[in-house]
Amino acid sequence: MKPAPFTYYDPHTLDEALGLLAVHGDAAKILAGGQSLVPLLNMRLAAPDVIVDINRLPDLDFVTTDNGLRVGALARQAMVERDAAVRDVAPLVTEAIAWVGHRQIRNRGTLVGSLAHADPAAEMPLVFLALDGELHLRRTSGSRRVSAGDFFVHIMTTALDPEEIATEASLPPVPPGSGSAFLEVARRHGDFAVAAIAVVVTIEAGRIRRARVALGGVGPTPLRATRAEERLVDEEPTNELFVEAALAASHDCEPVTDIHGTAEYRRELVRTMVYRGLGRAVVRARTGAAG
Amino acid sequence: MATELRVVGTPARKVDAAKLVTGYGTFTDDFFLPGMLHAKILTSPHAHARITRIDTSRAADHPGVHAAISHHDVARIPYTSAGQSWPEPSPYDQYILDSKVRFVGDYVAVVAAETPEAAEDALGLIDVEYEVLPPVLDMHDSMRPGAPVIHDEPESHGMYDAERNVAAHIEVEVGAVADGVTEADTVVSEDYFVQYQQHTCLEPHVTIAWLDEDGRLVLRTSTQIPYHCRRMVAFALDIPVRDVHVIKPRVGGGFGNKQEVVTEPLAAVLAIKTRRPVKLEYTRRDEFTIARMRHPQHLTMTVGARRDGSITATHMKVLTNTGPYGTHALTVTGNTGSKPLPLYRSPNIRFEADIVYTNLPISGAFRGYGAPQGFFALESAIDEMALALGSDPLEFRRANHIRKGDTDPVSAALAEGSAKKPRVMRSNGLPECLERGSEAIGWTAKRRGGMPLRPNEGPLVRGLGMCCLMQGSGVAGDELAAASIKMNEDASFTLMLGSADIGTGSDTTLAQIAAEVLGVPLEKILVRSGDTDHVTFDYGAYASSTAYITGQSVLKAAEDARRQIVSVAGQMLQEDAEALLVADERVSSSSGKTVTLQEIVMECLYGEEKTLISGRGTHATKESPPPFVAMFVEVEVDIEMGTIRPIHLVTAIDIGKALNPAICEGQVEGAVTQSLGYALTEEIVLSPEGRVLNPTFMDYKILCAADMPKLTTILVEDPEPTGPFGAKSVAEVAINGPAPAIANAVHDAVGIRLRHLPMTPDKVLEALGRL
Repeated sequence: MKPAPFTYYDPHTLDEALGLLAVHGDAAKILAGGQSLVPLLNMRLAAPDVIVDINRLPDLDFVTTDNGLRVGALARQAMVERDAAVRDVAPLVTEAIAWVGHRQIRNRGTLVGSLAHADPAAEMPLVFLALDGELHLRRTSGSRRVSAGDFFVHIMTTALDPEEIATEASLPPVPPGSGSAFLEVARRHGDFAVAAIAVVVTIEAGRIRRARVALGGVGPTPLRATRAEERLVDEEPTNELFVEAALAASHDCEPVTDIHGTAEYRRELVRTMVYRGLGRAVVRARTGAAG
Repeated sequence: MATELRVVGTPARKVDAAKLVTGYGTFTDDFFLPGMLHAKILTSPHAHARITRIDTSRAADHPGVHAAISHHDVARIPYTSAGQSWPEPSPYDQYILDSKVRFVGDYVAVVAAETPEAAEDALGLIDVEYEVLPPVLDMHDSMRPGAPVIHDEPESHGMYDAERNVAAHIEVEVGAVADGVTEADTVVSEDYFVQYQQHTCLEPHVTIAWLDEDGRLVLRTSTQIPYHCRRMVAFALDIPVRDVHVIKPRVGGGFGNKQEVVTEPLAAVLAIKTRRPVKLEYTRRDEFTIARMRHPQHLTMTVGARRDGSITATHMKVLTNTGPYGTHALTVTGNTGSKPLPLYRSPNIRFEADIVYTNLPISGAFRGYGAPQGFFALESAIDEMALALGSDPLEFRRANHIRKGDTDPVSAALAEGSAKKPRVMRSNGLPECLERGSEAIGWTAKRRGGMPLRPNEGPLVRGLGMCCLMQGSGVAGDELAAASIKMNEDASFTLMLGSADIGTGSDTTLAQIAAEVLGVPLEKILVRSGDTDHVTFDYGAYASSTAYITGQSVLKAAEDARRQIVSVAGQMLQEDAEALLVADERVSSSSGKTVTLQEIVMECLYGEEKTLISGRGTHATKESPPPFVAMFVEVEVDIEMGTIRPIHLVTAIDIGKALNPAICEGQVEGAVTQSLGYALTEEIVLSPEGRVLNPTFMDYKILCAADMPKLTTILVEDPEPTGPFGAKSVAEVAINGPAPAIANAVHDAVGIRLRHLPMTPDKVLEALGRL
């Protein structure tokens, strides 16, 4: 099928783009990489009256690593994937982004677009949740920053207002002594996750001072496994601890059964992956290895 | 014939490669006729219902619509869509349009309009009232007393027992299986369940139909069976065969799904009604819902053996879901038994099957044709038996497999009282396949033995599994092919074939045979195929028949032409024609005299005694020699996540002679890829109402390149005396393999038996007791 008719704009300035959104609001959709939007249009699952193509906006295709990570709205996932400096400041991003679709998709798809699309089984929302990321939102009348935790509201629903553009996503610097890991199970290479997890631990003086355990594909948004995190903090990292935390994480989610996996299987996957992820993250924290 | 082969046996470039890679007007849809209309089908939302009222008048009045027809507008002629030799062994239980719908997606009405959009819109203007009937949504319910009768109409015929929803029934016994079980020291008996699989041809079903300047119906269509299609469409429309002209362009995959007339009858009816060209093309969603699937089955496999390792009993019992129509019902399930059961010598063999109707998607022909289901059960059970006897599965198979010179006992039993002849194994390269395949995988070194995990072992466990396979080369006693060759003025040859190259490379392979015999390079053979007005008769591309059956007809046609060439050359050279040699585009005598083919053809056409060089060959045989495979696979099982990752898959395949090794390897790799999906990821998911829930490539999981294991293909050549240059078939046999080999490898790795396909991670965890 082909998309239902729509009016197409390709503004050349951010103000122009924001002005269009201010006028069209809900009736408009933003086109960046198009890797989710265009299939939705072609299958007529989405039929917006207006498409605002932001690909001609200047200065949004940046990736910077001076102080944490900043990714502009037009930075392609492949650009982030290949950036060696990203591996240093946010190794979890580099590890997870290779799981996003296929290479062809990453060549066009944008990281910020993936966050704004907010598929609960997608990799980047999960990672930004685990790393305390922020979204920078602009509108004609101003701007605001929203934490990843507040940004993801429901399945493919975010805190983004219709007149706003997410111009940037950022991650704070990771504290020293941190290690992270990303694991995913998909039916095939490049599929959306049946379940995925991201963990970040910070170790000081032999104890876990800070822990983030995030789960994907097992709820309406990426989830923080808060009971698992609480179980980990201030403890010595031991195998027994990881077993308990993993079990807690598997109870911190409400997976559903669909054609790609049962709820029980997903819960079991979460347990296994969080257990393995914690082991990997702690080793990386101790050795300072990538990840 | 030259003693050393010049063209046959080389990995020659495909004769259709250039147009395929440049995309030049190649496929059915790459064609446009002025005034062409687009057809769209209204399908049933109910699994089982009677159409109590249907009114297409509002749709017919919609702007741009030229026809909107329902069952009121077509003659009620029962037919089968199964493209088989006449009389088709499938029941005549289909109608171009009917007043009853028998699955979600059944044809209700069809519209032809100037644009696809207008046709689509008009579908919404068709008024239909249904009387919804109770459906049969599980094949185990089909034969239950009181089950809804799916074919209660009096006109349909050829079903085994319509009252009980049995489309076909099979019982065959060699010896006495009950005695064989009694004599056995060990008996293995288990149930196996296999699912719907879709062919996922890249090119969907598509037909362009029109009336030519003589008023004859032309069908440009994506088919495996141009001649059967012509006969069957003529029958279904009640028009003379001579008034139908079928053109098969390049085809983007068939795999059995196009051994059916699916889009042709509707397109034909619309073209005749509107007097305009009409295109009917399935969408991808249509392919996943209303085309055809591999038959789901419930198999019960029993094997008995003595302590000494000899098999005493082999018993396979099958329940098959044919869906609402019995297309290929009898024959597909027939092959579920007849292909695997002869593989191991056994004095007592029994095969019984019920093929039942349900209100679920339509099953049909699919590469392997029932054998993948049967081999999954047999080769799982043989593995289990070997281990139960404390024997190595490789050695157990070596000791028991069918030998050269053996008669296939199942075909012998089936042949009783018919004109058919039992199969005798005249070639059998299986011993060499076992030898080379096991070496390539590292069988002895890497077997793990299904032992419990050792304390220091991680959750990723590797194991090795194997299976043996066989198939046929054409339908024994039910094949006919013909070829003709004419010599052109530049000493090239036009080879005219009725066979259908559906991407298999058969046009190339067959041209290689002709080039070899005629002593010319491949580029001097111009292939014309797939057009019922212009080429010779052929049953079509199915049952792995083309290289073996049509190949032999090409060999005969080329030899016929060569005899004529040599005869002319004998006169030109004043030599005994019998002693002349044809090679390198010339005919030579042992005394050193020589004349070129160019000189010969000019002498024929313009010399003193004018004559045409024109060869023809027809071939029919009761033989169907099996190709053999020994397949080995190494897998890695994640015992916590339940995932199975195939690491390395080795296919050692005896094909008699590799006429074109590159094409042979392509066939094997394609078959293996398709069946890795069958083993691990592919399944049609149905709602409780019988609706397909995953009709997209997003949700129906065929494997992609990144999911593939390393593939090793070993071509073994034990010459088949009845085949062209010693060749037998290659296209299907390997597709029977990966599922049992992987199931056996999983057992080797972690000690569990998986008997439900596909082997998804949740099933693995369940079997491990972890879920």
